[in-house]
Amino acid sequence: MLSKITSYALVGLEGVPVEVETDINKGMVSYDLVGLPDAAVKESKERVFSAIRNSVLRFPVNKITVNLAPADIKKEGSQYDLPIAISLLAASGQLEADVNGVVMLGELALDGGLRPVSGILPILISAKGKGFKKFIVPCGNANEASYIEGIEVYALKNLKEAFAFLSGESFQPVEVKSFEAAKRKTSYNCDLSLVRGQAVAKRALEIAVAGGHNILLSGPPGTGKTMLARCIPTIMPDMTFDEALEVTKILSVSGELGEEGIVSLRPFRTPHHTATTVSLCGGGNNKIKAGEISKAHRGVLFLDELPEYSRSALEALRQPLEDGKITVTRAGGAITFPADFILCASMNPCPCGNFGSKERNCTCTPAQIRRYRGKISGPLLDRIDLQVEVDAVKYEELAGVSVGESSAEVKKRVERARLIQRERFNGDDGVTVNADMGERQIKEYCKLSPECESILRAAFERLRLSARARARIIKVARTIADLDSSAEIRPNHILEASSYRNFDSTADL
Amino acid sequence: MNYSDREVDIIVADGFNELGYKQKKLFLASVKADNAEREKFAAALIKTAGEGVYNKLKEKFFDDARRKIVLEKLSKRNVVCVTVKSENYPYKLAQTPVPPLVLYLRGNQTLLSRRMFGVVGSRKTSPQIMEECKRLCEQLSEHVAVVTGVADGGDSAAARGAMKNGRAVCVLPGGHDSNSAPNPKLLKRVEENGLSVSEYPPETPIPKHLFGMRNRIIAGLADGVLVVSAGEKSGALSTAAYAADYSRDVFAFPYSIGAEPGKGCNKLIKNGAGLCESADDILSSLGIKVESKRSDILLDEGEKAVLDALRAEGEMHAEALAQKLGLKLTDLLTTCSLLEIKGMVIRVGGNAFAALQ
Repeated sequence: MLSKITSYALVGLEGVPVEVETDINKGMVSYDLVGLPDAAVKESKERVFSAIRNSVLRFPVNKITVNLAPADIKKEGSQYDLPIAISLLAASGQLEADVNGVVMLGELALDGGLRPVSGILPILISAKGKGFKKFIVPCGNANEASYIEGIEVYALKNLKEAFAFLSGESFQPVEVKSFEAAKRKTSYNCDLSLVRGQAVAKRALEIAVAGGHNILLSGPPGTGKTMLARCIPTIMPDMTFDEALEVTKILSVSGELGEEGIVSLRPFRTPHHTATTVSLCGGGNNKIKAGEISKAHRGVLFLDELPEYSRSALEALRQPLEDGKITVTRAGGAITFPADFILCASMNPCPCGNFGSKERNCTCTPAQIRRYRGKISGPLLDRIDLQVEVDAVKYEELAGVSVGESSAEVKKRVERARLIQRERFNGDDGVTVNADMGERQIKEYCKLSPECESILRAAFERLRLSARARARIIKVARTIADLDSSAEIRPNHILEASSYRNFDSTADL
Repeated sequence: MNYSDREVDIIVADGFNELGYKQKKLFLASVKADNAEREKFAAALIKTAGEGVYNKLKEKFFDDARRKIVLEKLSKRNVVCVTVKSENYPYKLAQTPVPPLVLYLRGNQTLLSRRMFGVVGSRKTSPQIMEECKRLCEQLSEHVAVVTGVADGGDSAAARGAMKNGRAVCVLPGGHDSNSAPNPKLLKRVEENGLSVSEYPPETPIPKHLFGMRNRIIAGLADGVLVVSAGEKSGALSTAAYAADYSRDVFAFPYSIGAEPGKGCNKLIKNGAGLCESADDILSSLGIKVESKRSDILLDEGEKAVLDALRAEGEMHAEALAQKLGLKLTDLLTTCSLLEIKGMVIRVGGNAFAALQ
């Protein structure tokens, strides 16, 4: 007898339907699994056997062939255990039910229990698009499945329940939860008001977030660069539901999704500087996995000690920084992952870290410092609009510095500036923030008065800025003007913008 | 370039790497046709260098083809020589105990006949002093040529300043084409806007143990020497020591107590060096009178307040400065940027600013 069950495979972030076909026929007793299964899928034979036996059901003794179609997609992961088991039961005549239109996913334990699997959310979204309405998933994935409206998801505990459900017993589908409620439950565990002093760097962070600019913090060790960076997500506008889904999808596929089932806080990823190009950008031999830059999508990628990263890893960031996505191409195919993040990098001013410090002496020669800074290529620096120094000054020296603003206050200004930008660009060429502007948009939206032009020219001559710094300064000035709610860029905006460029004019050290 | 026979003699002999400075002098004396005591010098040289070497060099020396090649090579490399017997050899340098037999020059040679003033500093020079040094050299070079080295830090700041008036003279530690400069781009610009000097033929690598030797040339060429920064054991101090030996004026920038990069400077002042705060201090000692033209005119009220505060406090952190003046931080950054563009203040690291003279 033949039976067919629908399950889903993941290709990148997209779900692809997989038919699980089982044929039981007379012949030599055998149990074959075909259809390009990987090791984890092949092992499902043993799990399915034990699970069926231990759920007080009969495992058929005949010639059994299980096929996963289409046969040209490599099947990976353990989510096929449940559909294989159900299709075996249907084919052996133990289960008589209409299983058409029900998508099943889940890994079986030997006792018949259902274990959670990764990638449920993107599968649900894809399957919903294809018109599927009913799903059976492990109860461990209930939270992740509960944010999608318009489908019935049954989160079941074990094979027995699945059998009972398909036999007609009624179960309660997973209740749809609201994203707002999930958002209210979580909060960041740092705040700008906890960072003392560092007003210049804080202001730079505000500008960076408001305009979507990448930022480089340079300063001696122990001055709070990491703490500042951790505050960036706290001043970014809250994620919308769509953004949250995008982020959750990526983490779901990577198997890194937490208990709550949806990500409501902006991601903050800190790959260590030993990270390889592949781990940053994504890749892999069989299954192409998302890299750190994709996991930082809609959030912040923090690269601590930037010059310590391998050159090739850093250079690989250039294209995704420009495009907001990365296409990973391997022999098995090409997959595009989103990678729209704010890059925050930090570095010491010199190899020993004490250059510019008042308390300790720098032991580096100018040639060493040049070499150290030279590790970061010009084209990469090109994409980092703001370069600020983090103070080496001790807090006690700044007696009476007032307690800084909280993240919430800064966030309000950021949101206002972002609104101005959204209205201005109005979806022009996919540009949503100032940092995305190309030459054409700069010409159109950043008209400079003659006074601004002359100041910019003077700044260039005096501070010996590189030609590539020009567009950068104008873009940052545009953001500062937006924060100021000013329609045109004024001289003071240009001047402030030109003060966040401490790496452009280190020609003579 | 046309050289007299005597000049060619010296140039060719100077290329004998087998010989030291004194030996080269002995050799030249021994081959000079009109010297009655030739034999005596030859004997003295053979004693130290050996007869085989002497005879071989002599053969080389009188080989006309080889002499031609030596000169051709120099002109191909765009290097001009001035020998100790040439008319245009700087007389001040000639009076020192060990004047280089040949000066290899590239760039504007007329600078060699100008009055010169030496400005040197250690490699570790703070950004503020670099800027001050650059500015001072720019002013000095309106009247005299500025002679310095090509090392990073104080030397290159001096060269950059003097370059603006085309009067930078850099003394190299090795030959011109031996990659002796840590900063080849700077050297190239110096050769376009000034002069580079070496006592070694173009391809000679830097003789490590003699690194300090070029300092005697800086001191020898100059009327006086200013040390802008020097740690306790800085090479800049050796230049000052040579200058004192040659009875040139020595000046130094003053530093605050305990400042590591200024210990050498303060020691010099303690030992009687002149304290230099501006180009006027030096120019007046050289007998040059300058109209002072300090220009605060272009500043508005806010800028003046910032500048006055910085002048009163020395170095100040942006946040502290904003608080003192009761300004918003963003406004202060704007003003500081403007002052920076006008060349009145400089960033000194860690978001702190300092006023320039």
